[in-house]
This record gives sequence, C-alpha cells and structure tokens, in this order.
Amino acid sequence: MPEDKIKNLLQKADETAGVPAPVSINISTLRRRANRRRFVSIATPIAAAAAILIAVGLYGFTLRAAKTTHQQKIALLEMQIEQLQARAEATSNLVQEVLQNERKQQRLDELQAQLASIPDPLEEIQKQVDTTAFNLVYQADRMYRELNLKSSAIRTYKRVIELFPETHGAEVARERLSEIKNIKYKKDSKGDLLWKPQNVPSSC
Amino acid sequence: MVVMAEKIDDEFLVKQFSQGDDSAFNRIVEQYSADIAVLTNRLLGWPGDVEDVVQDIFLAVFVGLKKFRCECSLKSWLFTITINKCRTYRYKRMLRLKIFSKAAGKMSRTHSRATDGWLMDNETFNRVRRAVKAMPAKYREPIVLRYLQGLSINESSRILGISENVLQVRLNRARKRLRRELAELIEE
Repeated sequence: MPEDKIKNLLQKADETAGVPAPVSINISTLRRRANRRRFVSIATPIAAAAAILIAVGLYGFTLRAAKTTHQQKIALLEMQIEQLQARAEATSNLVQEVLQNERKQQRLDELQAQLASIPDPLEEIQKQVDTTAFNLVYQADRMYRELNLKSSAIRTYKRVIELFPETHGAEVARERLSEIKNIKYKKDSKGDLLWKPQNVPSSC
Repeated sequence: MVVMAEKIDDEFLVKQFSQGDDSAFNRIVEQYSADIAVLTNRLLGWPGDVEDVVQDIFLAVFVGLKKFRCECSLKSWLFTITINKCRTYRYKRMLRLKIFSKAAGKMSRTHSRATDGWLMDNETFNRVRRAVKAMPAKYREPIVLRYLQGLSINESSRILGISENVLQVRLNRARKRLRRELAELIEE
C-alpha cells in the first residue's frame, strides 16, 4: 500500500534525523520572561498613549506658537501701518503748508507787481505842481506880452515864485521878473520898450 | 483507562499550579518537554536545535495554564500551542530570510536531482525530510501528527482545529504531493 510505504519512509527519515537536543526549562526564567512580557504588554500601550499625548501636546503648542507669532506679526504690521499713516499725514501737512506758502508768495508777487504798476503820487503831484507853475508862467507871459497887463503879470510871476518856489516855473518867473525890472530900468533911461520875453514855452 | 488516569493526573497538576505550586509545572515540563521538542523538531523540518521555540512554547504554557479548563487532554492543548508557535516561528523566519530561503531552496532542489542511485542512505532520508519541509503547513502538520506522532484522526483534527473530513482531504493531498516528489523511492 502506498500509504504504508509513505508512512514507513517518513518514520525512517524521522528516525535518521535524530532526537533534538534536550531542552532545559527553568521556571524562574519563564516567570521572569512572563513578567517582562506582561510589563511590555502593559507598558507598550501606555507608552504609545503617552507618545500620542506628547505629540498632540507638541502639535498644539506649535499651533499656539504659530498663532502667537501670527498675532505678533499682525500687531507689528498694524504698528507699522500706523507709523506710515502718521508719516503720510505729516508729509501731507508739510505739502499743504508749502503749497500755501507758495500761494502766499504768488499773491505777494502779484500785489508787489500791482504796487509797482501804481505811479508814485509824489512824482505825480510834482508833475502837477510843475505843470501848474508852467501854466501860470505861460498865462503871466501872455498877460504881459499880449494883453499888456504888466502888474497882473508881475503878480502872477510873484505868486508862482511864492507857491512853487522849487519848480522850473519859479525859475522862469524869477527870470521874467528880473527881465521886467531890467526893461523898466532901460525904459526909464531911454523911454522905449526893448524887452521881448524869452524862453516862452510854445507847446502849452 | 490509562487515558482517564492521565487526564485526572493532568487536571490535578493544573489545579496544583493554579494554587501556586511551581513543582506542578516542573512535573508538566518533565512529562511533556521531550514530546514537544520532538514535535517541534518535526514541524520545523528537523533543524536539531529547537530550544528557543520550546522555551517560547513553555512560556505560553506558563502564562496560559491557569486558564486551561481541561476540556481536552493537556497533551492535546500543549500540541496545539506547539503547532501555533511553530507556525509563528516559521512565518517570522520566512519574512526574515525570504531571499536567503529562495536561494537555499534552489540549491537543495539542484542537489536532490543530482543524486544517483536511490539507496536508503542518509541522502535519501534527507530528501524525504526536505520534501516534508517544503510542503505547506496545512499539509505538513497533518502528516507529522498522523504519521510521525502517531495520533489518531480524531485527536489530530482536534489539535489542528479542523474537522476529520478536512483532515482526511489534507492527508490525501499531502500523500499525493509526496508520491509525486518521491516517486522513485515509493515505487521501489
């Protein structure tokens, strides 16, 4: 039978392999190993739980630290923004001030230009005074030459000298008066009119 | 009668151990260590040195003996533990030495084919042992228990945790494999 043959073959093969070396079992060693295994079986989950807790704690701490860092960054940025705003306001105020000063300066220049364009009243008055003195001298000349109103002419010349002593008209009036005096003197000596008015303005 | 007496003796030893008597465990070791060592040696492919595995087996016995309810014989329980430990040991060893095992397998196969003349010498029995060793656990374990340990079908099936029919099927397939592997030897 093949089964018997196989069994026989297997038993012979087993017999020729020999008996295994004797094993010494020490109960104290077994107890120690059992205790160690029990300890490991208890300690491993505890250690794993502790590791998980530590990891979770560290993760939370890291998150919190990151959050704190973010908050600090935000606060710093807010502070920088505030500083920038203050600086921008200061710059804006300075610009406004400069613009205002420029506007004032421009207005001042305009006013000065306007002031410069206004003629000097003293000169104007002096001109009028000169013109008046000249007109009086002209009229006195006409009175003396054309109307033969010698006394009126002399009075007018004297008035010019009195009223406008510093003018060119006053000088002319003085000349006329001296000329009239000279003519009177010559007329008294010769009995003829020799005087002819000179420097009479022809434009007036 | 002898079996009954053995069972009573086992129950007594277990009870003694549960009450804290270490000498009871020593007696169990004395009584069964040789059988367990032999079975371990056979299940692991006759390596010779099986002390580590046997130590592990007795450690498991030491830890679990208090929970043993004597529903089966102590020997069957010890053999079940032995089979489980050997499976674990082989699995771990296979994982650890996967590449090396492949190389070793190739070498052994080459070597076996090279032999001339099928004399009943050591080399022949080595070949038989290698054939058993190379079989999957589900075929090797029934072969070892049934043909080498000489256990009955009932006992073997109980130890392996399978039905008798399944055990018969596995034995049949294991025999076919061995016939195929050792055809020349069996025909002689």
